[in-house]
Amino acid sequence: MSSATESIQAVKEWLLAKHPELDDLEPNLDLIENRVIDSLGFMDFVFFLESLVERELDVEAGSVDAFRTLRSIEEKIFQPD
Amino acid sequence: MAIPQEAVKQKPSRGISATLERITEMSVDTYYNPYKMFQWPESLPDDQWWMSRELMTVANTRFTEELNESQLKALSKWESIYFYSLNVHGIRELLVEVVARVQTPGYEEESEFFHHFIGEENEHMWFFAKFCWNYGKKIYPNRKLSFSIGETSPEIESFLVFSRILIFEEIVDFFNSRMGRDETLDPIIRQVNSIHHQDESRHIVFGREVVKKLHGYICEHESEDQVRAAEKYVKRYIVASIQSLYNPIVYKDAGIPEPYKMRTELLADPARRDVDRKTLRRTTDYMQKNGIIPKGDIFSELSN
Repeated sequence: MSSATESIQAVKEWLLAKHPELDDLEPNLDLIENRVIDSLGFMDFVFFLESLVERELDVEAGSVDAFRTLRSIEEKIFQPD
Repeated sequence: MAIPQEAVKQKPSRGISATLERITEMSVDTYYNPYKMFQWPESLPDDQWWMSRELMTVANTRFTEELNESQLKALSKWESIYFYSLNVHGIRELLVEVVARVQTPGYEEESEFFHHFIGEENEHMWFFAKFCWNYGKKIYPNRKLSFSIGETSPEIESFLVFSRILIFEEIVDFFNSRMGRDETLDPIIRQVNSIHHQDESRHIVFGREVVKKLHGYICEHESEDQVRAAEKYVKRYIVASIQSLYNPIVYKDAGIPEPYKMRTELLADPARRDVDRKTLRRTTDYMQKNGIIPKGDIFSELSN
């Protein structure tokens, strides 16, 4: 498995590739509020994250905050302990 | 309970046709008791096809040559359990929306049918869930989350809700109608699918009618920008729905190595795109013919 830093960089690149109108993503930018991720792209995004962490992620309404910013993804998904 | 007349005046009827009366009568005439109808076998053998081979997400790809028959049968089992799980979650979502609208101002004409629809969908959810628990010992979790798409009017919201319901039902029905008559499948698999197909045919007739009317209504009463944004969302929803069938967790359960790579490869495979276009054709043809989504390839311009 790659390091958390490499993984978060991969996430950033994946999201920017889907949003050519964006130059960069700040670590604390709310990805959901700013529609970088929306309902229709969410499942795809989760599968991408799972491919990086090589485990199934908990995806329920209560767990959405873990996916909200690059920082929360890094802390709660790539470094959960 | 009487509907406040003031509210009725504020939300005029959208003129749903006499089709409602016909399909409501059919619901009454063909009513069955699902709790007595099925003879559930104690178990189903793993060494069988659980899903029509041409409906599996690996059909028309190298995987059908490279995986052995035992692996493909395992995949057919877990893809079928996942398909019924998607039905369970999809039905829950549509029930919430229809229950929120039944016997409310603006849905006076539809409410009679809604009662049948709610009853039938509840029963479908029950038999799909029973199949999953009996033969897969699980229901795959719902991995779709719903975020707000911003400020929209109640009419646009209803257009999106009924479009989602219609798209879901049309895709599911494509599978049900084929598996319901596939002689290679176990009788209980055929029966679950054919019964669902029988009921969904009415729901699709209703869905098409209501989506067309709601689209006409928002075209007259909402700004062009709002309408175009709603149409774009519907088009993206169609694509997201068909792509949700490709699930790496299913591939993993079937014992296939590198399941995430497999999903990426399958989604990029032109042969799969052709299969998916055929699966969606009835839906996209109807929506494009009625101006509900723009003409052209459904897979074009996929980004947000």
